[in-house]
Amino acid sequence: MLGFLSARQTGLEDPLRLRRAESTRRVLGLELNKDRDVERIHGGGINTLDIEPVEGRYMLSGGSDGVIVLYDLENSSRQSYYTCKAVCSIGRDHPDVHRYSVETVQWYPHDTGMFTSSSFDKTLKVWDTNTLQTADVFNFEETVYSHHMSPVSTKHCLVAVGTRGPKVQLCDLKSGSCSHILQGHRQEILAVSWSPRYDYILATASADSRVKLWDVRRASGCLITLDQHNGKKSQAVESANTAHNGKVNGLCFTSDGLHLLTVGTDNRMRLWNSSNGENTLVNYGKVCNNSKKGLKFTVSCGCSSEFVFVPYGSTIAVYTVYSGEQITMLKGHYKTVDCCVFQSNFQIFSYHQWSRWFFIFSENICTNYLMHFFK
Amino acid sequence: MLVCASPPPLPALTGLRDDKLTLLSSSPGLGGTPGETVRHCSAPEDPIFRFSSLHSYPFPGTIKSRDMSWKRHHLIPETFGVKRRRKRGPVESDPLRGEPGSARAAVSELMQLFPRGLFEDALPPIVLRSQVYSLVPDRTVADRQLKELQEQGEIRIVQLGFDLDAHGIIFTEDYRTRVLKACDGRPYAGAVQKFLASVLPACGDLSFQQDQMTQTFGFRDSEITHLVNAGVLTVRDAGSWWLAVPGAGRFIKYFVKGRQAVLGMVRKAKYRELLLSELLGRRAPVVVRLGLTYHVHDLIGAQLVDCISTTSGTLLRLPET
Repeated sequence: MLGFLSARQTGLEDPLRLRRAESTRRVLGLELNKDRDVERIHGGGINTLDIEPVEGRYMLSGGSDGVIVLYDLENSSRQSYYTCKAVCSIGRDHPDVHRYSVETVQWYPHDTGMFTSSSFDKTLKVWDTNTLQTADVFNFEETVYSHHMSPVSTKHCLVAVGTRGPKVQLCDLKSGSCSHILQGHRQEILAVSWSPRYDYILATASADSRVKLWDVRRASGCLITLDQHNGKKSQAVESANTAHNGKVNGLCFTSDGLHLLTVGTDNRMRLWNSSNGENTLVNYGKVCNNSKKGLKFTVSCGCSSEFVFVPYGSTIAVYTVYSGEQITMLKGHYKTVDCCVFQSNFQIFSYHQWSRWFFIFSENICTNYLMHFFK
Repeated sequence: MLVCASPPPLPALTGLRDDKLTLLSSSPGLGGTPGETVRHCSAPEDPIFRFSSLHSYPFPGTIKSRDMSWKRHHLIPETFGVKRRRKRGPVESDPLRGEPGSARAAVSELMQLFPRGLFEDALPPIVLRSQVYSLVPDRTVADRQLKELQEQGEIRIVQLGFDLDAHGIIFTEDYRTRVLKACDGRPYAGAVQKFLASVLPACGDLSFQQDQMTQTFGFRDSEITHLVNAGVLTVRDAGSWWLAVPGAGRFIKYFVKGRQAVLGMVRKAKYRELLLSELLGRRAPVVVRLGLTYHVHDLIGAQLVDCISTTSGTLLRLPET
């Protein structure tokens, strides 16, 4: 480490190398953090978490009681033992609160003034953070399982929504209506994700075992249907290609957008090359997946070899992305883990579980010292 | 805390010290120079193992050490670029069997376990992909090596019907001879011979599509029906077929029953765990026709049981989930 510092100082090495080596070291040293806690507001389980991409300071959580809470993760008190406070919440007494369980929440990618939430009550609501009022509501015919807004796009404000019906709807925030429908799947859409590399590439995962990559500017059908056996490509065969041998529950692009990870109820996780749809055949072993809805997992960013964190029963399994090796299982929860999210600045990795507890995993040694260093 | 480092050389294969578990052996706490392997497990002294064909440490691929954080702490110096180079001794590897620790060698070893006499030599020896995982520790490497062997045309991978995930591996030569013998004198012999001659060497996939068969290889619909009747193709979807082994139905039946029986042996044990040596020493129930070792390899590779190293040897435990 000191060697790296002196090399950086004399200009022998790229400054990024030290950052990546240190990030990797911190991820490898992740443990349950006994000093940090998060205030408990939710009355039921928590389905989704999102940390804002601008500063990494505010976190949104959506619960199965329809409540949405906003937390401030910053520790401004000088003490090491700290509980992250809830800044505000949209509780059951709010006039516009979701009637049923909130499935996905997401911050507006460019600033924290707005966030979107979708729920089993067949709506997608757009909220203004400062006034906590709904700016817009999109209604659908079926329950909404998942939605996602492109994190990199500056040319469009489309939100992709996956519902119980087989059509993927794209809602435009500028005009306030659904602008596109993408047809191709045969059963409910369990997960959608925009590519972090290209503005117009969308990946959707469905209960019919298929994962499709779309370019939303194209009028005709999807670009690729992922095939786990990497068979010969031909138009007539697309109907037989399956990405998994069961429902496909979760999707996550790696942070550079070149690869896509998918998780299915056949207890497998697969890594795909997102440009040609090829299965890279990296084998992660058995990744237990009993979830009937989407499974939200996450990938680290900024480490020298990326890691993927997948909820596995009541633990979180950590694998290296490109070699498939299982590094460890993060234990701490008592019941099933539903989702997890990774914050890259402090490597504080929060996840939660069904019975309302938040657990934060972070590096246990000298966190104060390292925080000063990165500031 | 017990840590098992790489196993000693298997007598059936060549004498190579494989350094797959380099991270564990390079720790100074374990003692020994980086070039030596240090063993703490007592399994090889077990008399049972002297009789089984897979001597000493049969399942190097899947042992979990008790304390998982060892692995992480040893990856940390690697990220900072501090690596110890170790010298590899002279390696003699048999080009036919492949390097020990490779998928090719694992497949050859496992083919010895298949009971040929049970099927009166009508069925080619079939090995499962999950069994290869139990012998080769890194699954991604095993998958890639199997894919290479498939592309070279040495093995065929076949979808076994009972589980979409279970793939059978067969040597192409064995497959060809058995299929020809099975269709000898039958009305579909011509179509089958044409298939074996033209399609098999050209297309190494698991499945075949309608337009591929009719346009590229020139099969008529009636010929495709002959192939399905012969058992060489199984229907997958409208217009696509899986490659299949004729007569594999009996094998699949014995396999599924045997797998359930061996899992049942572990399930009925106290605390739902059994020492591997004890399991292999028990008399196989009548339902298990393919042999206990065959099934144990499959269970470990498919992660249907957790493999834990203890001071008395390897322990097989049913996972909690």
